[in-house]
Amino acid sequence: MTANGEPSADTFAALHELLGPLNKTGVDLKPETRFSEDLNFDSLVVMEFVATVEDCFDISIPMNILPDITTVKHLALAVEKIVKADRG
Amino acid sequence: MPGIFDRFSNLMGQRDAILAGDGADPFQVRMDDVISQTEAIIAGKRTILCGTNNYLGLTFAPEALKAAHDALDAFGTGTTGSRVANGTYSGHKELENTLCEFFNKDHAIVFSTGFLANAGVLSTLMGPGDYILMDADCHASIYDGVRASQAEIIRFKHNDAADLDKRLARLVDKPGNKLIVIEGIYSMLGDKAPMAEIVAVKKKHANTFLLSDEAHSMGVLGRYGRGLPEEVGCEDDVDFIVGTFSKSVGTVGGFVVSSYPDFGMLRLVCRAYIFTASLPPSVVASATVNLGLVKSGGALRTRLMRNAKVLHSGLSEIGLKVASDLSPVVAVVAPDPQVAVAFWRGLIEAGVYVNLALPPATPYGYSLLRCSLCAVHTEEQLRKVVSIFESVAINLGLIERKVRRSAVG
Repeated sequence: MTANGEPSADTFAALHELLGPLNKTGVDLKPETRFSEDLNFDSLVVMEFVATVEDCFDISIPMNILPDITTVKHLALAVEKIVKADRG
Repeated sequence: MPGIFDRFSNLMGQRDAILAGDGADPFQVRMDDVISQTEAIIAGKRTILCGTNNYLGLTFAPEALKAAHDALDAFGTGTTGSRVANGTYSGHKELENTLCEFFNKDHAIVFSTGFLANAGVLSTLMGPGDYILMDADCHASIYDGVRASQAEIIRFKHNDAADLDKRLARLVDKPGNKLIVIEGIYSMLGDKAPMAEIVAVKKKHANTFLLSDEAHSMGVLGRYGRGLPEEVGCEDDVDFIVGTFSKSVGTVGGFVVSSYPDFGMLRLVCRAYIFTASLPPSVVASATVNLGLVKSGGALRTRLMRNAKVLHSGLSEIGLKVASDLSPVVAVVAPDPQVAVAFWRGLIEAGVYVNLALPPATPYGYSLLRCSLCAVHTEEQLRKVVSIFESVAINLGLIERKVRRSAVG
């Protein structure tokens, strides 16, 4: 994470790659892209997507934080926080 | 002003698209008469029931009927109260003692439904700073229970002990307790948990406990019907067993059993136990009697598995995609929800009731015609079910008529 609280470009790139096949609405993927409104993710797709992100970063994303993750940027920040906590 | 159900408009649109066309509504089936454990009158037609989770067929056990009638006459139609107020009768305590003996555990707590047992136990067993690691395919009641807990919730891949191990390893430095949550048999496809592997993973990690929901495996697996832990031989390693009376036990109600010290404390903190009325005496009496029949029901279990084989192989042989392993749940996969509804309607019109199960309630996004067997299904009934499945599937263009060895002419 950079000093101003912005997720790194690498994290965005990885998430964009994972989101690609799930982007059925064809919107431009930006940090502020919303999973529910812009990508039309339902609960099932969210769960599948979370599992692929967990595999990619080798982390567990607790279900408890999912309601607060509505955009790609939220997810990137959460992923970086968990990676940092896990690897010290 | 927006309507209060506007947020469901997408769902309503999906429902209307899926249910388009003529035929019965699969979610509003009405049984006007129940002829037996395996037959009912639906829309005026005598129908074979092949989706009731009534695995051992105990809903009309004469001993349980008599006990229920006697309790009804002696104690009335309901307790009108919570277990912690005026809703605990001698029958409730006798039922809990019977459960302790049945499972060889020190403590048993009876809830009003299986859903409430999971919701109550999972919301209170783990607290702040603890972790719950649940199989991703767990039942809705488990999801609702863990969501209401203050623990951190982590899902692991369905039936993947290595994935569970990996996730527990990430928590090695965290001091809290860890609770693994699985089911003995998963309801939609009838697949079993890899319990021996999961127990081995549990033992590798400190402060780690195992809870198994034996809703669909109780009465079905194990010599005495104690479910998957009995079959696998690891009952002492399963710290908490949740179950229901609404499947093999043939009535309604839920429970949790454990030998963990001070387990009875849950009676003072489980809101799903405290803030709801207790089971009516007649239900309690029939559950108590039927537990004995489940325990001594080895012959029923043999018949159940024989029936499962007949249906499983019958439906596979006609060319249908059967997603389940050999178990009392036989799930036929339809290509999409619309075809599944048409399939279901064809079956009900021809006199066969099965469960229609659609995503997101199903794994892998499957659209399922979910059958469950009963020990008292006759082979003739099951042959008829297979033949009706075949006719409907041919009409829908899903399979081609096969020339079978047994066919005449």
